[in-house]
Formats: sequence, structure tokens, C-alpha cells
Amino acid sequence: MKGKMLKCLFLGTACVFAGMSLQGCSSKNSQVTEIEIVQYKPEAASYFDQVEEEFNATHDNIHLTIQSPNDASTILRTRFIREDYPDIIGIGGDINYSYYVDAGILADVSDYAGLQYINQAYLDIDEGLEIVPTDGTFAVPYVANAAGILYNKDIFEEHGWQIPKTWDELITLCEAIRAEGLLPFEFGFKDTWTCLAPWNAMAVGLSPADTAKQVNSGNTTFSVEYRETAEKYMKLIQYGPTDPCAFGYNDACTAFARGESVMYTIGSYAVPQILSVNPDMNIGSFTMPANDVKEGNTLNSGIDLQFCVTAACKNKEAAYEVLDFLLADENIQKYIDAQTAIPCKVGEFELADVLEGMSEDIASGNMKDYQDHYYPSEMAVDAQLQTFVIRKDVDAFLEKFDKDWLRYNRDIIYKVKKYEEEHKN
Amino acid sequence: MKAMNVKATDMKEKKTNWAVMVLLILGLSTIAFPLYMTIVIAFKKPSEMTNSISGILSLPKSWSLDNFAEAMRVTDFWHSLSYSLLITVITVVLAIIIHSLMGYVLGRTKAKSKFYSFVYLFIVSGMFVPFAILMMPLAKQTAEMGLANWFGVILLYVVFYMPMNVLLYTGYLVNIPVALEEAARVDGSSTWRTYWQIIFPIMRPMHATVAVLTALAVWNDVMTPLVIMAGSNTNTLPLAQLNFQTQFGANYNLAFASYLLSMIPILIFYIICQKQILNGVTNGAVK
Amino acid sequence: MKNERKRTYLMIALPILALFICFNTVPLIRGVIYSFTNFKGFGSYDWVGLRNYADLFTDARVLKSYLFTFKLAVVTTIVVNVLSLILAMALNSEIRAKSFFRGAYFLPNVLGALVVGYIFNYFFTYILPAFAKMAGIGALEGSILSKEGLAWIGIMIVCAWQAVAMNTIIYISGLQTVPEDVYEAGGLDGATGWNKFRHLTLPLIMPFVTINLVLCGKNFLMVFDQIMALTKGGPAQSTESISYLIYNNGMSGGQFGFQSANAVVFFIVIVAISVAQMKFTSKKEEQL
Repeated sequence: MKGKMLKCLFLGTACVFAGMSLQGCSSKNSQVTEIEIVQYKPEAASYFDQVEEEFNATHDNIHLTIQSPNDASTILRTRFIREDYPDIIGIGGDINYSYYVDAGILADVSDYAGLQYINQAYLDIDEGLEIVPTDGTFAVPYVANAAGILYNKDIFEEHGWQIPKTWDELITLCEAIRAEGLLPFEFGFKDTWTCLAPWNAMAVGLSPADTAKQVNSGNTTFSVEYRETAEKYMKLIQYGPTDPCAFGYNDACTAFARGESVMYTIGSYAVPQILSVNPDMNIGSFTMPANDVKEGNTLNSGIDLQFCVTAACKNKEAAYEVLDFLLADENIQKYIDAQTAIPCKVGEFELADVLEGMSEDIASGNMKDYQDHYYPSEMAVDAQLQTFVIRKDVDAFLEKFDKDWLRYNRDIIYKVKKYEEEHKN
Repeated sequence: MKAMNVKATDMKEKKTNWAVMVLLILGLSTIAFPLYMTIVIAFKKPSEMTNSISGILSLPKSWSLDNFAEAMRVTDFWHSLSYSLLITVITVVLAIIIHSLMGYVLGRTKAKSKFYSFVYLFIVSGMFVPFAILMMPLAKQTAEMGLANWFGVILLYVVFYMPMNVLLYTGYLVNIPVALEEAARVDGSSTWRTYWQIIFPIMRPMHATVAVLTALAVWNDVMTPLVIMAGSNTNTLPLAQLNFQTQFGANYNLAFASYLLSMIPILIFYIICQKQILNGVTNGAVK
Repeated sequence: MKNERKRTYLMIALPILALFICFNTVPLIRGVIYSFTNFKGFGSYDWVGLRNYADLFTDARVLKSYLFTFKLAVVTTIVVNVLSLILAMALNSEIRAKSFFRGAYFLPNVLGALVVGYIFNYFFTYILPAFAKMAGIGALEGSILSKEGLAWIGIMIVCAWQAVAMNTIIYISGLQTVPEDVYEAGGLDGATGWNKFRHLTLPLIMPFVTINLVLCGKNFLMVFDQIMALTKGGPAQSTESISYLIYNNGMSGGQFGFQSANAVVFFIVIVAISVAQMKFTSKKEEQL
């Protein structure tokens, strides 16, 4: 028994090692430059598979691989720690991007010719995300999303309701919807991240875009800047279901798709999920009218996907050639059709019908980034908002926000202070 | 449930214990209901999903296998399945050999030797190391050692499940009298031989238990392969199943179909193993 | 003879121990080193000394997560062990269709976290409130997962539902080691029912009770999947477990160094508890 088992074990191990060494030997043609992209949106995997195939069919000198893994943030971090950097990473314009710039992982791409076709508003957003002003450009914005209010067009038409332009009009509309025995809003606050959707959309119209940076510099506090947003947020959720934290994102999408509510405060990214439940639904959208004056309202739009060349990329020219291909008009059009996205490139693109109500702001560049792109995820602002929804205490919420901000951003604030001191003179 | 306790111990009559049967059947409802939901959802289309109770419990419009076919396509089923099988089978075999040996040595020595009792606590306490703290260092270490592949994943599993399995084996050995080995030794058999000829076969029910628990843990694990095999093109089934859920949308119908499919191999494995657990007593070596 | 045995033991134990140290202890030590830094999980980092540990003891969120985790672990461990011991004895008694029942009761363990999460979310959000309405129980008419005081019970139920299967298997394999003649002897002495269980069965399967308590304690103290599937730490951050914080803030967030410190403290706390518990139960085993 013993001999047999040991033999099996040795044989097995030998086979395994043989297999491993074979894997390591796969030969590569030295003439061809390998470019690897890891992008974080698995829902767009089929688009990127197609791009990969088309690119390789038309390019002999470069071989492109695009990975669209699930949980890309974990995969990217694991690969960073192994110092196994992909050539290009596709990430969102959020605090992780800020961290990566700060950590020196990304290469300066300001010499990339394609940047001149990118909408300046999005380049500015990226600039703003840098923790301390850093020379250079570190990302090529690809597509954006927008968050405001989605509404059921058929119900609106049936009752002759108009798109509200100011906060008062919105409240009046909600009262009118209620008077008809309908539910104005659907919320899925059980999934805490959805608490941020109305919050972001309202905050852009009520507080400066650089609120977080001003707080970091010690010029203001959130208790001052966010008070109106918090109070209006509280008012808004009263027009939702009685227990908004009982339902998740999926429940809310299903309920909205089934006509159980008239409006839904969520981003354009939710449209595919809603349409999967009710493919015939007539969805419209409009900018959140959080401000009391029409002109004060801004569309909440941020970079959903951008490409960054890593500092470790050996062949920048080849990486730029890949970016050129990705940024070709017909490819961007394919992407925005599939994902209901907004292109970051200037040009004649056909937006999805759903985004029609926001197209005016998009065209005029009246857009501001999501405030939560500045929040560190470990501070769990989404969970704090959920607590706020349950406890309904504006003062406690704002006080905790300020206190926690200092706690979770200690290193960043230190860095900002140091930078400001150095650059005073 | 309390009443069952008394009845259940009442094992001396050899005829069917109907009271226990009735309670077991009643208890099944807690399993039948979720299973029913899983199956029904696996056959429905996304457009059949509602938030009403009658809607979710209703039967699907058609019993077409489209979801299953699509789920198999999305997860590259046969490919992922073969990696899952490979990793699980090798891990289980290694676990039974290595962990039972370690469990045996520690079980027989920890009461008398300070060194072994320390080793025992040292290994068992490894159970409480949160994986999150090991993750980053392990990702780096396995890459440095050239183990960022499925074989590295297996090695890690052998280490991760060692605490639990050593605990199980040493616990089982308490009920196996030392006299059995002593007798063999008197006959001149070496410790190594005695182990394989006498102790290893006696521990069969425990091997089966260990096999089931280890296989189950490995089969469903996402994090280890995700972190260790990141960047390679190999997927295990649970990794491939991550496809069904992103933050902004989930296709539960495909996901449920896929989970039903991936449940089958492990269920078959369990049914085979639990016969072994049962056979322990008829082997009759324990006295 | 004695030396031969000792040598064999050593030759078995040392390589296995080396493997364990290589892939468990060494990375753990590396992790401990990170706990003295402000490492984000990538990029450069600075040494911060004991700052992370000092922060840990003043962080209300961490403290709350310890209280929640231990409450959940203790209650669930008790519930699971009582239920699975009963179930194991039922499945071990003279019944028809034994294999079928054993297979069926094993199912909860096999269903993936996504499926279990979806089904129980549905159950707690829609089905249970509907039943409560019919039965007129006002307290349960809303989803229990959205109530700060009750959400942990929902998590407890799901944890128990899944874990009973595993513990039952261990108890069944334990019951196999109880020789029939012990019962026969007991039967002659007139031991029946509860007395027989208390004085004959329980002492003999005591090692398995220990194993199950340790495994349950481990699983529920490190509870993560069920939290992710059911509440994501909500409502109002009332169900954030320690593992949830370590993973979400350390791995996904930028608090890798701080959460490493949390993991180190957590590890020390559990080891201290389990050493104490093992000492206690092994004394119990001897007494019985």
C-alpha cells in the first residue's frame, strides 16, 4: 500500500512539474510587440473581444490581448504587487485613479496625439482627481456615464407631466404623482452604493465641484458645503417607498421596469438591467434639478472608462497605436450603443435615446464629476448615507462626515498641506 | 425539534422509527423550498422576473434548456470544469495523505511531548489567520517561486485546510485505541508500515469526512484562484461564474442555471463519500 | 523500538511543518510587517510605527464589528450544534431512505453564495413580511434585513442553514465510532432516552463536539460571504463583521496597513480564546 501510494505521488508531482515547465517555454515571435490591456468592465467583455480580434487581424507588428476579468481591482492590485504590470489599464475616473497617479504607476501620456480629440471637460475632471497637482496627463478618457433621474415616459405622457427644471418643480411633480396614487421614486438602498446615486446627482448642483479638495486644504467643512444637499436628500427620499433600505438595486430596477414607480434616481449604467426585465420599456432621463434656480443645475457625469499606459510599458509607440484603434469613431460608437454610454471624444456620435433628456447639458459641457470619486472607499460614505436614511439626523450625519473625513484622509491631507507649503514661496 | 432529540436517541429498536421519519420530512421543507426557487429561476427568462411572491413562485413559461446552454457557453463550462476537477481531486488526495499522517503523528504525541503539542497548536491556530492578510504576501511569494498557476493553488489549499483536517484526524484518533498499534509493533512491524496497514484503513470514515469537507471548500472557493492565477487564462468554475454578477447588473437566471450545473459533481462525490462514512462501523475495527 | 518510532514521527512531521511555515507563517509575518506601515496595497509606503494599532483601539467602527461578530458567532455556534447533533442522530437512527435524506440535508452546503443570497434576500424581503401580515405579527411586517436590531438574526439564520450540513457530517462520523455494544450494555442497565444520550452517547462523541465547536467558531468569527450576500454591512453599518472590514477596507479600499493590524489583533484574540476553550474542553473530555 505504502509503496504504491508513494509511487503515485512521485509520478503525479513529476507530471505536474513537467507540465509547468512546458507552460513556461511557450515561444514568442520576437518581431511582434505584445500589448496587454486589463480593463475593469466585465459587462463590456464581448465588445473588447471583438476589438482584440479586429486589431490583431489588421496589425502584424503588434499582438493585442485584452482581459476583462471580474473583480479587476483585486486582479490589478495582485499584479501590481507582483510587479507584473499590464501595458495599458482600463479603469474608472475615481479615487483609485488618484492613488495610481500618486503611486507613480502610470506613465505621462501628454505626448499622445489622440488627446486633442478628447472633450476638455473630461481632461479637466482627470486633472482634478490628482491628489496634488502633478505635471502631465495620465489617462485617455474613453467613455462617461451620467446620473440623474430616469423616468417612465409612458406614465409621464399619460398624465401630461413636464420635466421639472428646478427643485420646487420637482417637489410639485412628486406631490402630483402621489396625488394620482403612484409612487414617485424607487430606491434600492439595501445595496448601499445606490444611496450615492441621488446624493451625487444633487451634490453637483448644490456644492462646488472641488469641495473635497477645499476641505483637504482646510478652507471649508462638509457641514457647511453639504448641509443643503443633506436636507434636500432627506426630503427626496420621502417620496420613495416607506422602507427604502429593504430593497436592493435589483429589486428597484425590477420594480421600476414593471412600472411600480414613475421615476428612479440612478445612473445611465442601470438601463441595460432595467431593459432586461422589460425590453419594451420607454425610459427617459433628465438632469437632477436639485438647485432652486434652473441655471444652477448641472449634469452629474464622470469618466466611466479611461485608458492609462503604465510606467512599466516598454513600447509606448505600440500602446499609442492600440489607443488610436480603440478611439476610432466606429469603435466608440459600438461601445456606447452596447453600454448606453457617453463618448469622451469630440465628434458626431449618436447617443442612446434614453440619454436624450441630458443631451443638451452634454453638448454644452455643463457637467461635473461625481463627488464620490473623491471619497475613499474605506470611509464607506454609502453606508453613512444609509445610516442617515434610517436615522434622519442631518446634524449627526454631517458631523460624522467631517470627523471621519479627517480620519480616513489623514495621509492625503498631510500630503496636500506639505505640497501647499512647498509651493507657497 | 426538542421532542426529536429524545426520540432520535431511542435507537435500540431495529424497525423504522416513524416519528423521526415524519420530523425529517417536515425538516426537508426548509431545503425543498429554496431548491424549488433555484430550479424555477434557472429556467425562467429575465423578463419573467418580478417582485411579487406569486410571480417568483410560478412555474417558468417554458422548460427550455436555453439558460443552461447559454450558461455553459458563458463560463466555457467544460474547460472551467476540468480545471475545477483537476484542482479539487489532487487537493483531496494530497489532503488525505498528508493531513492524516500529520494528524496521526500529532494525535499520538501531543499529550506527552511539549514540542508536538506546540506544533499542534501552531498548526491549528493557522485556521484563524484571515485570508485577507495572507493574500498580498502570497500573491508575491507564489509569483517569485514560479507558482502563480493551478499547482500553486493546490499547494496553498493543502496548507490552508491543514489546520481543520489535522484537528479532525487527531480528534478521531482519540477513539482509536493505541493497543492496536502496539500489537502490530510487537510483531516487528515498523511505525511507517503499521500506519499504512492498520491506522490508515481504520480512519476511513474520517477520510471520507475530510474528503467531503475539503472538496466542498475547494470547489466553491473564489479568492485563492482569483488572486494566485490572476493574469493567466485559466478559470475555475466559481471564477467563471463571477461573470454573472457585476455591480450594475446581474443575470440571475443564467447564474442559477450555472450553479445548478456546478452542484452536480460535488453532490455525486458527497453521496459516494457518505457511504464510506457509514461503512466505518461495519468494518468493525474499532473496539 | 522507541527510537525508531520517534524518528519516523519526526521525519513525517518536519517536512509537513516546513510546508506549513512556508505558505502560512512566512506570508503571515510579511503581513504583520505591513501592519506597521500605511501601505495602500500598491505603490510606495511609509513606516508609521504603532499608529495603526493605536487607531485600532480608538476606532468605534472596529469595536462595533468585534461586538457584532462575537455575538453572531456565539449564538450561531450554539444553534448550529444543537440542530446538527439532533439531525445527525435522526439520520443515524433506523429510518427509510437514509441516503436520500443524507443527500438532501447536505444540499444547503453546496448551493453557491450568490444563489443562497438571492433566495434568502427574497425570503426576508417579500415572503416573510407577507406571512407576517397574514398572521398579524406587526413586528415582522417589514424586511428584517432593513432593521438595525434584527438584521443579524437574518444572517444567523442563513449561516445556520448552511452550516448545519457540515456539522452533521462530522457528528455522523463521530457516531460511527460509538460501538453498538455500549448501547447494548446501556440497554441492560435500563438507560433510555435523554439519560442514555447524556451518559452514554455524549461522552463518547465529546471529541467531535470539540471539533465542531472549534470549526463553527472559526467559520462564524470569520463570517464574510453571508454578509456580502445579505446586507453588505447594513443597515446603518450594524452588520459589519471583522472579516468584512478587513477585506473591504484593506483589499478593496486603501487601508491595507491598518486592516493588517486589525487582522493581527483579531488573530491573537481568537487564538487566545481557542487555546482557552481547548484546554477547557480537553479537561471536560477527561472528566467524562
